[in-house]
Amino acid sequence: MAGPLAPERTPDTTPGEDFDLDRPWVTVVWDDPVNLMTYVTFVLQELFGYDEQTATELMLQVHHEGKAIVSSGPRERMEHDTSRLHAYGLWASYQRDS
Amino acid sequence: MRPFRRRGDELVARLVDAEASIVGLLVDQLEQLLAADPDDSGGDPVVERLLPPGHASDPEIAADYRDLTEAALRSGKADDLAIVRATLPPDGGEVRLDDDQARAWLRTTNDLRLALGTRLGVTADTEPPEDPTEEEGSQLAVYYWLTAVQGSLVDALVAGGGGRR
Repeated sequence: MAGPLAPERTPDTTPGEDFDLDRPWVTVVWDDPVNLMTYVTFVLQELFGYDEQTATELMLQVHHEGKAIVSSGPRERMEHDTSRLHAYGLWASYQRDS
Repeated sequence: MRPFRRRGDELVARLVDAEASIVGLLVDQLEQLLAADPDDSGGDPVVERLLPPGHASDPEIAADYRDLTEAALRSGKADDLAIVRATLPPDGGEVRLDDDQARAWLRTTNDLRLALGTRLGVTADTEPPEDPTEEEGSQLAVYYWLTAVQGSLVDALVAGGGGRR
Protein backbone atom coordinates (compact mmCIF):
# COMPACT_ATOMS: atom_id res chain seq x y z
CA MET A 1 0.00 0.00 0.00
CA ALA A 2 1.24 3.47 -0.79
CA GLY A 3 2.41 5.40 2.22
CA PRO A 4 5.52 6.70 3.91
CA LEU A 5 6.61 3.15 4.75
CA ALA A 6 5.88 1.64 1.36
CA PRO A 7 8.97 0.22 -0.31
CA GLU A 8 10.51 2.47 -2.91
CA ARG A 9 9.79 1.21 -6.37
CA THR A 10 11.92 1.20 -9.42
CA PRO A 11 10.10 1.42 -12.74
CA ASP A 12 8.64 -1.92 -13.70
CA THR A 13 10.79 -3.59 -16.30
CA THR A 14 9.44 -7.11 -16.05
CA PRO A 15 10.65 -9.02 -19.10
CA GLY A 16 7.96 -9.50 -21.67
CA GLU A 17 5.96 -6.52 -20.51
CA ASP A 18 6.16 -3.41 -22.59
CA PHE A 19 7.81 -0.61 -20.70
CA ASP A 20 5.22 2.10 -20.88
CA LEU A 21 4.73 4.43 -17.95
CA ASP A 22 1.56 5.84 -19.47
CA ARG A 23 -0.16 2.50 -19.59
CA PRO A 24 -2.13 2.21 -16.35
CA TRP A 25 -2.58 -0.77 -14.12
CA VAL A 26 -5.96 -2.38 -13.71
CA THR A 27 -7.71 -4.45 -11.06
CA VAL A 28 -9.53 -7.48 -12.42
CA VAL A 29 -12.27 -9.51 -10.72
CA TRP A 30 -12.47 -13.12 -11.93
CA ASP A 31 -15.48 -15.43 -12.00
CA ASP A 32 -15.82 -17.76 -9.06
CA PRO A 33 -18.38 -20.54 -8.50
CA VAL A 34 -18.95 -19.66 -4.83
CA ASN A 35 -19.47 -15.91 -4.57
CA LEU A 36 -23.13 -14.89 -4.78
CA MET A 37 -24.09 -12.49 -7.55
CA THR A 38 -25.89 -10.21 -5.10
CA TYR A 39 -22.81 -10.22 -2.85
CA VAL A 40 -20.41 -9.32 -5.69
CA THR A 41 -22.69 -6.42 -6.70
CA PHE A 42 -22.87 -5.25 -3.08
CA VAL A 43 -19.08 -5.37 -2.66
CA LEU A 44 -18.44 -3.42 -5.87
CA GLN A 45 -20.85 -0.71 -4.69
CA GLU A 46 -19.38 -0.71 -1.22
CA LEU A 47 -15.71 -0.52 -2.19
CA PHE A 48 -15.80 1.60 -5.33
CA GLY A 49 -18.94 3.66 -4.86
CA TYR A 50 -20.50 2.41 -8.10
CA ASP A 51 -24.23 2.93 -8.47
CA GLU A 52 -26.34 -0.21 -8.49
CA GLN A 53 -26.63 -0.37 -12.28
CA THR A 54 -22.88 -0.04 -12.90
CA ALA A 55 -22.05 -2.57 -10.19
CA THR A 56 -24.63 -5.00 -11.59
CA GLU A 57 -23.24 -4.65 -15.13
CA LEU A 58 -19.70 -5.35 -13.89
CA MET A 59 -20.91 -8.35 -11.89
CA LEU A 60 -22.71 -9.74 -14.96
CA GLN A 61 -19.56 -9.22 -17.05
CA VAL A 62 -17.60 -11.25 -14.49
CA HIS A 63 -20.28 -13.92 -14.55
CA HIS A 64 -20.67 -14.20 -18.33
CA GLU A 65 -17.19 -13.33 -19.63
CA GLY A 66 -15.14 -14.72 -16.75
CA LYS A 67 -13.65 -11.40 -15.66
CA ALA A 68 -14.11 -7.64 -15.54
CA ILE A 69 -11.88 -4.64 -14.92
CA VAL A 70 -13.25 -2.88 -11.86
CA SER A 71 -10.68 -0.10 -11.41
CA SER A 72 -7.60 1.37 -13.07
CA GLY A 73 -4.79 3.68 -12.04
CA PRO A 74 -1.30 3.63 -10.53
CA ARG A 75 0.11 0.29 -9.45
CA GLU A 76 0.04 1.11 -5.72
CA ARG A 77 -3.64 1.94 -5.88
CA MET A 78 -4.41 -1.28 -7.75
CA GLU A 79 -2.54 -3.24 -5.07
CA HIS A 80 -4.73 -1.54 -2.51
CA ASP A 81 -7.95 -2.20 -4.46
CA THR A 82 -6.97 -5.85 -4.90
CA SER A 83 -6.36 -6.26 -1.17
CA ARG A 84 -9.72 -4.65 -0.36
CA LEU A 85 -11.43 -7.13 -2.71
CA HIS A 86 -9.47 -10.00 -1.14
CA ALA A 87 -10.67 -8.88 2.30
CA TYR A 88 -14.21 -9.51 0.97
CA GLY A 89 -13.22 -12.83 -0.57
CA LEU A 90 -13.56 -11.82 -4.21
CA TRP A 91 -11.11 -13.43 -6.59
CA ALA A 92 -9.13 -10.42 -7.81
CA SER A 93 -5.70 -9.51 -9.16
CA TYR A 94 -3.97 -6.52 -10.71
CA GLN A 95 -1.92 -6.21 -13.85
CA ARG A 96 -0.78 -3.78 -16.48
CA ASP A 97 -3.60 -2.82 -18.79
CA SER A 98 -3.35 -4.82 -21.99
CA MET B 1 -33.04 -20.40 10.96
CA ARG B 2 -35.08 -17.27 10.52
CA PRO B 3 -33.15 -15.31 7.88
CA PHE B 4 -31.74 -11.82 8.40
CA ARG B 5 -34.18 -8.92 8.21
CA ARG B 6 -33.63 -5.27 8.96
CA ARG B 7 -35.27 -4.14 12.17
CA GLY B 8 -34.63 -0.44 12.74
CA ASP B 9 -30.87 0.06 12.94
CA GLU B 10 -30.22 -3.64 13.35
CA LEU B 11 -30.04 -6.74 11.19
CA VAL B 12 -31.68 -9.61 13.00
CA ALA B 13 -31.79 -13.35 12.42
CA ARG B 14 -32.60 -16.31 14.63
CA LEU B 15 -30.51 -19.46 14.80
CA VAL B 16 -31.44 -22.70 16.48
CA ASP B 17 -29.02 -24.36 18.87
CA ALA B 18 -27.48 -26.75 16.33
CA GLU B 19 -26.98 -23.95 13.77
CA ALA B 20 -25.21 -21.74 16.28
CA SER B 21 -22.97 -24.67 17.24
CA ILE B 22 -22.02 -25.29 13.62
CA VAL B 23 -21.14 -21.63 13.05
CA GLY B 24 -19.06 -21.64 16.23
CA LEU B 25 -17.24 -24.78 15.14
CA LEU B 26 -16.53 -23.46 11.65
CA VAL B 27 -15.32 -20.14 13.06
CA ASP B 28 -12.88 -22.04 15.31
CA GLN B 29 -11.62 -24.10 12.39
CA LEU B 30 -11.14 -21.08 10.13
CA GLU B 31 -9.33 -19.24 12.90
CA GLN B 32 -6.93 -22.14 13.39
CA LEU B 33 -6.30 -22.39 9.67
CA LEU B 34 -5.54 -18.67 9.38
CA ALA B 35 -3.41 -18.64 12.52
CA ALA B 36 -1.25 -21.55 11.30
CA ASP B 37 2.31 -20.81 10.27
CA PRO B 38 2.20 -19.91 6.56
CA ASP B 39 5.13 -22.31 6.07
CA ASP B 40 2.89 -25.15 7.29
CA SER B 41 -0.33 -24.11 5.56
CA GLY B 42 1.36 -23.05 2.32
CA GLY B 43 -0.08 -24.91 -0.64
CA ASP B 44 -3.35 -25.62 1.18
CA PRO B 45 -5.95 -24.82 -1.50
CA VAL B 46 -8.27 -23.22 1.07
CA VAL B 47 -5.56 -20.83 2.29
CA GLU B 48 -4.66 -20.16 -1.35
CA ARG B 49 -8.26 -19.22 -2.06
CA LEU B 50 -8.65 -17.03 1.04
CA LEU B 51 -5.33 -15.25 0.42
CA PRO B 52 -4.99 -15.43 -3.36
CA PRO B 53 -2.04 -14.20 -5.43
CA GLY B 54 -2.21 -10.52 -6.36
CA HIS B 55 -0.96 -11.15 -9.88
CA ALA B 56 -2.27 -13.95 -12.04
CA SER B 57 0.96 -14.80 -13.88
CA ASP B 58 3.96 -12.90 -12.50
CA PRO B 59 5.33 -14.66 -9.38
CA GLU B 60 7.57 -11.70 -8.51
CA ILE B 61 4.68 -9.23 -8.40
CA ALA B 62 2.58 -11.81 -6.53
CA ALA B 63 5.33 -12.21 -3.89
CA ASP B 64 5.66 -8.43 -3.62
CA TYR B 65 1.90 -8.16 -3.10
CA ARG B 66 1.94 -10.89 -0.45
CA ASP B 67 4.68 -9.09 1.50
CA LEU B 68 2.68 -5.87 1.43
CA THR B 69 -0.80 -7.15 2.23
CA GLU B 70 -0.90 -10.64 3.76
CA ALA B 71 -0.43 -9.64 7.40
CA ALA B 72 -3.21 -7.04 7.21
CA LEU B 73 -5.56 -9.44 5.41
CA ARG B 74 -4.96 -12.14 8.01
CA SER B 75 -5.55 -9.77 10.92
CA GLY B 76 -8.69 -8.36 9.25
CA LYS B 77 -10.09 -11.86 8.92
CA ALA B 78 -9.19 -12.60 12.57
CA ASP B 79 -11.02 -9.41 13.65
CA ASP B 80 -14.10 -10.47 11.66
CA LEU B 81 -14.05 -13.92 13.26
CA ALA B 82 -13.87 -12.34 16.72
CA ILE B 83 -16.92 -10.17 15.90
CA VAL B 84 -18.90 -13.18 14.66
CA ARG B 85 -18.02 -15.12 17.80
CA ALA B 86 -18.97 -12.20 20.06
CA THR B 87 -22.37 -11.74 18.36
CA LEU B 88 -23.22 -15.45 18.05
CA PRO B 89 -25.66 -16.72 20.72
CA PRO B 90 -23.85 -19.90 21.83
CA ASP B 91 -27.03 -21.91 22.43
CA GLY B 92 -29.01 -20.39 19.58
CA GLY B 93 -31.33 -17.40 19.63
CA GLU B 94 -31.33 -13.98 18.04
CA VAL B 95 -28.32 -12.62 16.20
CA ARG B 96 -28.50 -8.82 16.28
CA LEU B 97 -25.98 -6.86 14.26
CA ASP B 98 -25.20 -3.23 13.56
CA ASP B 99 -23.98 -2.36 10.05
CA ASP B 100 -20.29 -2.90 10.82
CA GLN B 101 -20.93 -6.23 12.53
CA ALA B 102 -23.08 -7.21 9.55
CA ARG B 103 -20.11 -6.64 7.24
CA ALA B 104 -17.95 -8.85 9.45
CA TRP B 105 -20.62 -11.57 9.18
CA LEU B 106 -20.79 -11.10 5.41
CA ARG B 107 -17.03 -11.50 4.99
CA THR B 108 -16.85 -14.43 7.40
CA THR B 109 -19.79 -16.37 5.96
CA ASN B 110 -18.24 -15.78 2.53
CA ASP B 111 -14.85 -17.07 3.73
CA LEU B 112 -16.54 -20.13 5.26
CA ARG B 113 -18.36 -20.79 1.98
CA LEU B 114 -15.10 -20.35 0.05
CA ALA B 115 -13.35 -22.75 2.42
CA LEU B 116 -16.10 -25.39 2.25
CA GLY B 117 -16.61 -24.84 -1.48
CA THR B 118 -12.89 -25.36 -2.12
CA ARG B 119 -12.73 -28.50 0.06
CA LEU B 120 -15.86 -29.95 -1.57
CA GLY B 121 -14.92 -28.93 -5.11
CA VAL B 122 -18.05 -26.83 -5.62
CA THR B 123 -18.56 -25.70 -9.23
CA ALA B 124 -21.22 -23.63 -10.99
CA ASP B 125 -23.08 -26.91 -11.64
CA THR B 126 -23.09 -28.15 -8.03
CA GLU B 127 -26.56 -28.77 -6.62
CA PRO B 128 -27.83 -29.24 -3.07
CA PRO B 129 -27.19 -32.76 -1.71
CA GLU B 130 -29.72 -35.51 -2.22
CA ASP B 131 -28.75 -37.15 1.06
CA PRO B 132 -27.77 -34.55 3.67
CA THR B 133 -27.17 -37.28 6.28
CA GLU B 134 -24.22 -38.82 4.46
CA GLU B 135 -20.81 -37.23 5.24
CA GLU B 136 -20.16 -35.21 2.09
CA GLY B 137 -23.88 -34.49 1.75
CA SER B 138 -23.96 -33.00 5.24
CA GLN B 139 -21.01 -30.71 4.49
CA LEU B 140 -22.68 -29.58 1.30
CA ALA B 141 -25.88 -28.99 3.26
CA VAL B 142 -23.91 -26.70 5.61
CA TYR B 143 -22.52 -24.89 2.56
CA TYR B 144 -26.03 -24.25 1.24
CA TRP B 145 -27.24 -23.24 4.67
CA LEU B 146 -24.43 -20.65 4.87
CA THR B 147 -25.44 -19.48 1.37
CA ALA B 148 -28.96 -18.81 2.67
CA VAL B 149 -27.62 -16.94 5.73
CA GLN B 150 -25.27 -14.79 3.68
CA GLY B 151 -27.83 -14.20 0.94
CA SER B 152 -30.42 -12.97 3.42
CA LEU B 153 -27.87 -10.66 5.02
CA VAL B 154 -26.88 -9.10 1.66
CA ASP B 155 -30.56 -8.63 0.77
CA ALA B 156 -31.33 -7.08 4.15
CA LEU B 157 -28.39 -4.66 3.86
CA VAL B 158 -29.31 -3.65 0.30
CA ALA B 159 -33.00 -3.26 1.16
CA GLY B 160 -32.12 -0.97 4.04
CA GLY B 161 -29.90 1.21 1.88
CA GLY B 162 -26.93 -0.14 3.79
CA GLY B 163 -24.59 0.22 0.82
CA ARG B 164 -22.36 3.03 2.07
CA ARG B 165 -20.38 5.37 -0.07
